[in-house]
Amino acid sequence: MKPTYGTIAVKSAMLVIAALLLFAPFLFQDIRALEVAARICIFIVLVASYDLLIGYTGIVSFAHTMFFGFGAYGSAIALKQMGPGWESVALGTLAGVALSLIVATAIGLISLRVKAIFFAMITLAAASVVLVLASQLSQITGGEDGITYRTPDLFKTATKLAVDEDGKVLRWFGVKLNGKLAAYYFVFVTSLVLFLVMLRITVSPLGTVLKAIRENEARAEAIGYRVVAYRTFVFCLSAVVASLAGSVYAVWLKYTGPDTALSFAIMIDILLMVVIGGMGTMWGAVIGASLMVMAQYYLRDLMGAASEATAALPLLPELLAPDRWLFWLGIIFILLVYFFPRGIAGTLMARGQRA
Amino acid sequence: MPSPSLSTRDLTIRFGGHVAVNAVTCDFHPGETTVIVGPNGAGKTTYFNLISGQMAASAGSVEKSGEDITRLSPSARAGRGIGRAFQLTNLFPQLSVLENIRLAVQARAGAGWSLLRPALSRHDLIESAEHFLAAAQLTDRAAMPAASLPHGDQRKLEVALLMAMEPDIYMFDEPTAGMSLDQAPAVLGLIAKIKSDPTKTVLLVEHKMDVVRALADRIIVLHNGELLADGAPGEVMQSQIVRDVYLGTATEETA
Repeated sequence: MKPTYGTIAVKSAMLVIAALLLFAPFLFQDIRALEVAARICIFIVLVASYDLLIGYTGIVSFAHTMFFGFGAYGSAIALKQMGPGWESVALGTLAGVALSLIVATAIGLISLRVKAIFFAMITLAAASVVLVLASQLSQITGGEDGITYRTPDLFKTATKLAVDEDGKVLRWFGVKLNGKLAAYYFVFVTSLVLFLVMLRITVSPLGTVLKAIRENEARAEAIGYRVVAYRTFVFCLSAVVASLAGSVYAVWLKYTGPDTALSFAIMIDILLMVVIGGMGTMWGAVIGASLMVMAQYYLRDLMGAASEATAALPLLPELLAPDRWLFWLGIIFILLVYFFPRGIAGTLMARGQRA
Repeated sequence: MPSPSLSTRDLTIRFGGHVAVNAVTCDFHPGETTVIVGPNGAGKTTYFNLISGQMAASAGSVEKSGEDITRLSPSARAGRGIGRAFQLTNLFPQLSVLENIRLAVQARAGAGWSLLRPALSRHDLIESAEHFLAAAQLTDRAAMPAASLPHGDQRKLEVALLMAMEPDIYMFDEPTAGMSLDQAPAVLGLIAKIKSDPTKTVLLVEHKMDVVRALADRIIVLHNGELLADGAPGEVMQSQIVRDVYLGTATEETA
């Protein structure tokens, strides 16, 4: 089939975002930009894994941050208790994955047979329980304050990856080759690998079965697919990927708390990202996560600048005051949903098909 | 007589006080095409649902080649060679025509759990799917979403999905319903081809008398959920009881 303009536009956007993320430390040489880039990498994986559920298979779950949190807290607790070694990272990650698998299998087998709305409620209940537990078991989880810890020495900002003849850290294009750079590429490469694995799965025969379940569950069952088994599998798969993303994010942040890994605010972010980007396409996750994280970090700055620029005019500076950034984010969200009802990637690709 | 490939024993389903299928006992044999007739509401589609597993029997049993499958899920029954096409078109609307067929092919091939190779590189699956597309004369529609097909082509795809499952038991529920006169022969030709295979068992719900005459080796009549008559087409169509409940009007129409 001939590629359409919409598809070309989406794929080009993918290349641009991938290139920006790949060269982020060199292109944007400030610490905040690197935070944003790392968060985008993590959220692309998180949103893509959620899209496997909601967009591909048609399963609505509110427990996705719970699995993200299992991974993050797994790494965090292991690093805190066992010290900043690679074995702590490995053990914590594995513990997070194992817990995610057990909980996802249990929820899946018990409740994926029931109607979608009940399943959504059960995941909501499970996520609430875990959130309460995390804040109550404060001797392990640090409660509301979370946990701060050190990560493997390779990722320390003081670590020199390469030195010049004076023993100072070597610079490439003005960028210090230090532990921060290593940490960013750790995040980037693991996110890329996880994303590519998911992409591969969506175009496999299994990926078509998932879409078939979304489209017509009864017929999928009638032609011979055990729908419950497939649903449970994809629920476990997305839980494991979310958990891995959480572990990586915990290593990057060197801090894990309810606000970074477990809160319902993150769940809502994921939902918004998947809707803005477009459900049922992995590209949507990339677009949604990139735009939303950028907006969260830079909309305030942008509005501050706009407010000052319009200071001479009546009313406008008031409306554009940085404190009103959530209001404007809401308006942007409504406009996006209005003009891109199937998400940005989904709508663009569908529009190309008709032309 | 060879041993039956499919049997129902006192198969019954009740919805509250209403008995939709009432103690139907019947054997079906390989190489035999059985047409199920009866007035609307006679329980024909419900009988199909009990056999292919969409509904659970209240009493009685279904056996496939001697194995009791009464408690099995639809997917497990499909895996044992019971294939079903639906009366109301029941496709994967947003997926392409080729993907629809490939789903049936890969279910049959046991490739549903294959997750690391792109589907497009599975030439075995694609070629097989294209073969069934061609048989249903849908090759030029391969890339279209199923939902965008005209009604007649959707019916063809519905039948092609069943073909691609390559079951032992083919169950057609009014396969030509709503099809134009020039399209129906394509579907009937497909059924005739299956019928010529002596290892396949065909069950067909059909109202159109010309179709019944052309395909039936045997006719069973359901009425108010009960098996009213069972026999060779000529015999059943002539019987007084059948004329009274059902064929009276139908024969007049087609005479």
